[in-house]
Amino acid sequence: MRTLWNRLTALFSQRRRDRDLSEEVEVHLEMRAAELRQQGLDPNAARAAARRDFGGIEQMKETYRDRRGVPWVEILAKDVTYGLRGLRRNPAFTLAAVLSLALGIGANTAIFSFVNTLMLRLLPVEKPEQLLNLYRTGGWGKGYASYPLYLEFRKHTDLFAGVFARSGADKVRFDPGHSNSIEYVQREYVTGNYFDVLGIKPAIGRLLQDEDNRTPQAHPIVVVSYDFWRNRLALDPAVLGRVLKVDEQPLTVIGVAAPGFHGVEVESRAEMWVPAMMFRGQIMQPGMHWVWIMARRLPQISRSRIQAASNTIMQRYLMSVYGGQRDSAFGKWALEQRIDVRDAGVGISMLREEFGKPLTILMAAVGLVLLIACANVASLLIARGAARRREIAMRFSLGASRWRLVRQWLIESLLLAMLGTILGLAFAIWGERYMLLFLPPGAGERFDVAPDATVLGFTLAISILSAILFGLAPALRATSLDPAAALKDGGSQQPGHGARAGFRKALVVVQVALSVVLVAAAGLFAHSLAGLRSINTGFAAQNVVTFSLDYPRAWKSVDHEKHRDTLLARLSAVPGIASVSYGMPGPYQGGSWSSGIRVPGSARTAKEGVQVDEQAIGPAYFETIGIRPLRGREFDPADFRSTRKIAVVNAAFVREFLPGTQDPAGRVFSFDVSKPEGGEPTYIVGLVRDVLHDGLKTSAKPTVYVPFREAEVSYDPTLLVRAPLPPGALLPVIRRELSRIAPEVMLVEPRTLRQRVDDSIFVERMVATLSGFFGGLALLLAAIGIYGVMAYAVARRTAEIGLRIALGAAPAKITWMVLRDGLLLIGLGVTIGLPLSLAAGRISASLLHGIKPDDPPVFALAIAVLLGTGVLAAFLPARRAAAVAPIEALRHE
Amino acid sequence: MAYSFWMPTRNAKPDVLQGTLDLMVLRTLESMGPQHGFGLAKRIQQISAGTLELNQGTLYPALLRLEQRGWIGSRWGASDKNRRAKFYELTKAGRKQIGRETDDWERTVALMDRFLRAAAE
Repeated sequence: MRTLWNRLTALFSQRRRDRDLSEEVEVHLEMRAAELRQQGLDPNAARAAARRDFGGIEQMKETYRDRRGVPWVEILAKDVTYGLRGLRRNPAFTLAAVLSLALGIGANTAIFSFVNTLMLRLLPVEKPEQLLNLYRTGGWGKGYASYPLYLEFRKHTDLFAGVFARSGADKVRFDPGHSNSIEYVQREYVTGNYFDVLGIKPAIGRLLQDEDNRTPQAHPIVVVSYDFWRNRLALDPAVLGRVLKVDEQPLTVIGVAAPGFHGVEVESRAEMWVPAMMFRGQIMQPGMHWVWIMARRLPQISRSRIQAASNTIMQRYLMSVYGGQRDSAFGKWALEQRIDVRDAGVGISMLREEFGKPLTILMAAVGLVLLIACANVASLLIARGAARRREIAMRFSLGASRWRLVRQWLIESLLLAMLGTILGLAFAIWGERYMLLFLPPGAGERFDVAPDATVLGFTLAISILSAILFGLAPALRATSLDPAAALKDGGSQQPGHGARAGFRKALVVVQVALSVVLVAAAGLFAHSLAGLRSINTGFAAQNVVTFSLDYPRAWKSVDHEKHRDTLLARLSAVPGIASVSYGMPGPYQGGSWSSGIRVPGSARTAKEGVQVDEQAIGPAYFETIGIRPLRGREFDPADFRSTRKIAVVNAAFVREFLPGTQDPAGRVFSFDVSKPEGGEPTYIVGLVRDVLHDGLKTSAKPTVYVPFREAEVSYDPTLLVRAPLPPGALLPVIRRELSRIAPEVMLVEPRTLRQRVDDSIFVERMVATLSGFFGGLALLLAAIGIYGVMAYAVARRTAEIGLRIALGAAPAKITWMVLRDGLLLIGLGVTIGLPLSLAAGRISASLLHGIKPDDPPVFALAIAVLLGTGVLAAFLPARRAAAVAPIEALRHE
Repeated sequence: MAYSFWMPTRNAKPDVLQGTLDLMVLRTLESMGPQHGFGLAKRIQQISAGTLELNQGTLYPALLRLEQRGWIGSRWGASDKNRRAKFYELTKAGRKQIGRETDDWERTVALMDRFLRAAAE
């Protein structure tokens, strides 16, 4: 302690102490010299002998100083100042190194932020590692389960410390009470034990209890999130007891949850929690899948044991509900449901399933980019080390230890890394914003990728790691020299340059090899995306805007219909709007509707009903999405007023059920699957081509289109407007007409059909774009690396080249001589990189559509691009070599 | 060649002698009282009677180390020839340290002695 204090105070009185030491040494030398003079030596000899006795004065002083201060603080400060000076002196080098690193570190930080948010960040709840998601698979949809199933699992206190259920967070109307504008809020229905099981405490008031969730429609209370309380209610302490109108339900606020808690879902943040019993719907119906079941396991019980137990629980439950129908197609389907017990400590995310693997692959890609950047910086540092030999030799002879010099180098490397990190963080923030644009509006709305402590820690770690990676080898190389020789030769000739150049060449080979991997991967993803894009969706996505409407709750379904008819009538009267219609679910709405049918005479449906996609469509639907019936006709207005059952079918339907039929018009099928030949017939009136309603990655399914009749369809349709106007001009028109008819009806998610198609392949677009960017980056960095090494080699061989030219070598021969060296490196890199990239292709095979992971054109192109870039990068120095004037070269010597 | 055993040797690393040098300095200060650096160096040289090869300069970092540990103190004063010089003297903690280090050292010597005898027999 005392030593530390002494050393710290010493920091601040350095100059005085240096003077003291000098004086002390002087006194010593003088005393010794005086002694020697008395023994008869002449003053000069005495002085010299005294010095000899003393030993290396400067060396001693250095040791003394090291010991005196707080060594690391003092030396660090000195080394940092020295390092910064060095970097300032060499702006081109610094810029190249910092930019390379910033791009590498920035890309890593950006991708890692997504990985962190989606896959690593634990929920801010008690012991998140004990949380499980009882994820339902098979049967209808995925993840969501029914309330009775939740009640079943809740009985098993031998497995779980608690089981709760929650609906997804829904965007619903919220009446703030103070203005006319309509606001939206993310509401979640939860069971009474939700907060208890999660271990969330109230900020004020109280949270829900089991008693708050007993009787349907009898608990009009709500807990709001801290953010909601702060942002919308201005932290009003009188909020408890206040009645909020949410989704037109008056709810009394009983409490505010602890700050930082936003529910258990990653990509949407709940703002208020309402007892599940307030859900408007048949909550106890086993077929109503609307809640996620989550549980906290007992600490002593493993997940695998819970999985085994859950299988049994699920089987018993399914048999009790569907056992009686086990022979029907419906029963079989229902009995196929399973429970997948998943860890839920990182929260629930539907995006994770789609996006988790692509993110992992992108993470690997940016790791490679950083490696390439590190190789570049290492190469630059080695070149710089060669130029600084004299300075290093000088410091050696002045008594600096090798460790001290290595440390100095590493500190310079760290400085570069830190500068790169600062710039990289800026790149990362920009990159994250760009990446968020790819997410479909639903998923990206509340996706929080702001860097947190984990991300910053990661960034710091990789920057330090890369500093060591690119700094250590050059530091060791630069300091392994014989000072005497280095000083003598003035730093121009470089013994050991062979090894140094060899190392740099090895780095180039590594860079090229890694670049092949990245460029090939970029090519694969781009080719796959191009394939998806060229798929014929079957409709003209250009110029069609789609949207839904949100009506006040008090409106009956006839009001919806009346409003919709009025709106469409007005819109079709607007000049410039070509056609309007609607459909349920409509194209690319992220859902499909299916029904079981029987087709008389079809072998496919002879034994049991078969599920087909169903679309309930309005008048002029096909015209609006730009297709004409191949046979028969579209529905006419009379069809909508009649109750006669008619349908238009697609080509896949005919292939599946009526093979060989040219014109299915006049044929029938039935939605009644109870009898082999079906019940009440539905008459087919037309045939349309296959339309990919549900995404590009699945082929067209047999589809039946039926007239949208309000009484038969319980959901609101998606509206479609075709107009040659740009969507920017069309939307204000739609909004204007809407507010003229009824301002309380809100426009929901207006998107062009084109955007919706894009949204459906956002993963592919994102991966292709980003990997393309990373591939380009890798190429650029590799090109810089190749150029640097070749230019250095030419500079070193100037004399030799000059001599060759003087002896009559043709310039072309000189160019080729240099170029050949470069090509050798590139060829070697490509040879090593090719098998690596084939392996990388296989790993990402599941992300590729329509092409094989060893797609030959892509790999041929990747090799060509690498060779082309390499030749270009090597050609410039080669040409310079050929232009060497012999006289100059000899003078150079 | 009066100063032959002070010959600077390139490879004499001060740290090798650290433990012993510390004890020598402390013992010398104990027996002689306050001393300046040169006086200490000379005294150590006399006592070792030519068996120790050491740069005089290495003494100073050792003195600093002892001072930092609080075993010796220093002040500027006048030498016998009335010249300004830095004097070092033992502190209370330093006296205790001599006891401890002497014990340690004697134990080590006794141990080594036994080993060497055992090996000789």
